[in-house]
Amino acid sequence: MAEYIIRRTLQMIVVFFIFLVSSYLLFNAIPGNAFSNLLLNPDLPPDAYEKVLATYGLDKPIMERVQLYVVNFFKGDFGYSYKYYPKTPIELIAERLPRTLMLFAIVNIVAFYTGFLVGKVLAWRRGSKSETWITVTSVFSYTVFYPWFALMMLWFFGYKMGWFPIGKFLYPEKWYTAPWDSDVIFVLMIKFTAIISIIQFIAYIMTRGIESLSQRRNLRFASLLTIAVGSYFFWNTGDALTKKPYAADIAYHMILPVIVVTIVAFAGTALLTRTTMVEVIKEDYILTARAKGLSQKRIRDRHAARTALLPVVTSFIFTIVTIIDGSVLTETIFSWPGMGQLLLQSVLEEDIPVAMATFSFVGVFALIAHLVADISYSYLDPRIRIKSQG
Amino acid sequence: MSKEVLVVDGLNMHYETLDGLVQAVKDVSFTLKQGESFGLVGESGCGKTSVAMSLLQLQPDNAKISSGSIKLDGIELVGMTEKELRTVRWDGISIVFQGAMNAWNPVAKIGEQIREAIREHRPDNSKDENTEKITELFNIVGLDSSVMDRYPHELSGGMKQRAMIALALSCDPKVVIADEPTTALDVVIQDQILKELKKVQELLGLSLIYISHDIAVIAEMTNNMAVMYAGSIVELGPTKDVFSKPKHAYTRLLLESTPSVVGEKKKLRSLDGEPPSLIDEKKGCSFSPRCPAPSKECKNQELEMKLIEVVKGHYADQCCVECG
Repeated sequence: MAEYIIRRTLQMIVVFFIFLVSSYLLFNAIPGNAFSNLLLNPDLPPDAYEKVLATYGLDKPIMERVQLYVVNFFKGDFGYSYKYYPKTPIELIAERLPRTLMLFAIVNIVAFYTGFLVGKVLAWRRGSKSETWITVTSVFSYTVFYPWFALMMLWFFGYKMGWFPIGKFLYPEKWYTAPWDSDVIFVLMIKFTAIISIIQFIAYIMTRGIESLSQRRNLRFASLLTIAVGSYFFWNTGDALTKKPYAADIAYHMILPVIVVTIVAFAGTALLTRTTMVEVIKEDYILTARAKGLSQKRIRDRHAARTALLPVVTSFIFTIVTIIDGSVLTETIFSWPGMGQLLLQSVLEEDIPVAMATFSFVGVFALIAHLVADISYSYLDPRIRIKSQG
Repeated sequence: MSKEVLVVDGLNMHYETLDGLVQAVKDVSFTLKQGESFGLVGESGCGKTSVAMSLLQLQPDNAKISSGSIKLDGIELVGMTEKELRTVRWDGISIVFQGAMNAWNPVAKIGEQIREAIREHRPDNSKDENTEKITELFNIVGLDSSVMDRYPHELSGGMKQRAMIALALSCDPKVVIADEPTTALDVVIQDQILKELKKVQELLGLSLIYISHDIAVIAEMTNNMAVMYAGSIVELGPTKDVFSKPKHAYTRLLLESTPSVVGEKKKLRSLDGEPPSLIDEKKGCSFSPRCPAPSKECKNQELEMKLIEVVKGHYADQCCVECG
């Protein structure tokens, strides 16, 4: 196992190197540069443009710049933003990342979970009327033109009904007197969510070995209850109490994007789960499970859905990268200034250091996500063994 | 006389297909006594497995039990709700499936899959009690207790089938159905599994229903047996009698088609024709089209199929008895 991880890591470094060089070259292949518009200013002395270029090292030949960039990258120096000088790309990412992370972590988990849930019910009720209708709905939401759908939802729920805010992640008027930056609140919310998930996960693992099913269920319910009570006290005491209204403001802004993206994204998972599970249901061990006198729900969840999980997790890993890069479309439509928008802006303005840093950050995350996926396969399906050779 | 555990009376089961109703089980009746081993033999597609599935009511959704009764310890199983059936399954009647290869869930450990069954029917057992029970069962079927922590793909076919027998015994069922438990195994392993099954049956005094197309296995394994043809039982009686003095033409031909290891070499006989389609309801003896010496009554389908007692405890279909 350790050998496998090391081998994969070495491979990843090679892949990442190729990724880095080729994306740098591609960004530089865009005609012009970030300072081209200086040429349009008649008040500037003729040599000013060249001077600016020399300051940023843009007068050097491209191959030399690539070399320099890659060497500096591995030293941990990502340069400065052309547009927001003297901010570094890292500072910009640090500001944007929590916003994207919070929104898209929730979107991904909710969409995956609903998708899997709907998918397994669909496969289980194969041939019934409800199955037909839900499948048709899922195919609709899977194939609908997403920007149009998102705008329609914004128009209806945001404008027509006025239930949810139209865009932005906060009401600026509420934050004039706020003693904190929005990032502080975002980081607090992320920490809170992460801790809850970890506690619940640990509770799940710990109760797994308990023989009595009813006891197992009760303990899990108790842990949920503890978390609920715990979070109530957390948000109503001390430091968090003063931050609560701001956190609530952000959470309120998150509702509509989460719902819209979930509606669009759950369908893929649901249809995939359904297809895989319909195959699994025909297997002999489902008959064994029925003969054992297990309840329908247990056969569905423990036997059929569990075995059908693998392809579903694969597809989930492909979408999980959006936790980091957000989705340019989603962030643009909901005016959510996160990583996706940062990426888009920096590319449009040819702010190459920022674009490169954002891009590489996403790349590293994607590579790690795939490694984690490969390793998790061997836990999901014991027939898959990770061999050191091969 | 020992107690009757399972009484099947006039069981009829059909599949609803696009081509029409398929009468898979026609008027099947038999009795299983405590500690007895009962064999069900017949060619492929004659309805053996359909009978087994009807007993547990595990048939696919398009299958319906149209009439008849199945009584387990005096409790009627036909017409039970799904919830009531769940308590009967495995606790009352358990089954060893044909082809143990696919009868295990590939992603769960063997021990966990057995534990799951015990948990369902004995919810108050502690973990140690269950582990002890499984170890004990593994001892009986000749498996090491470490098999509990293995996944199905790590076991050989024979081991899987042994574990399957342990699984079938896990809730101390009143009746165990063995549905061609040795089909997918090679001959040596088949022999081992059969011996194991016989040993277990004698040791625990199990009431066993053994389903097979292999008449030799039935001879070795069972006290009483029934021969099925085209969905109905054509001959029923003590295994010894059926083998020594077969009353039905089909049984005779079935016996003649099996090679014997001892005795003089004989040419094996085979039967012309195909088993009849079960879709259209035919009157009269279903075997008459293939019968080597059908009588006039058989040909004209004047006689209804019905078991009659020929010798005490030995029944055969009246059509064939009539024609001699």
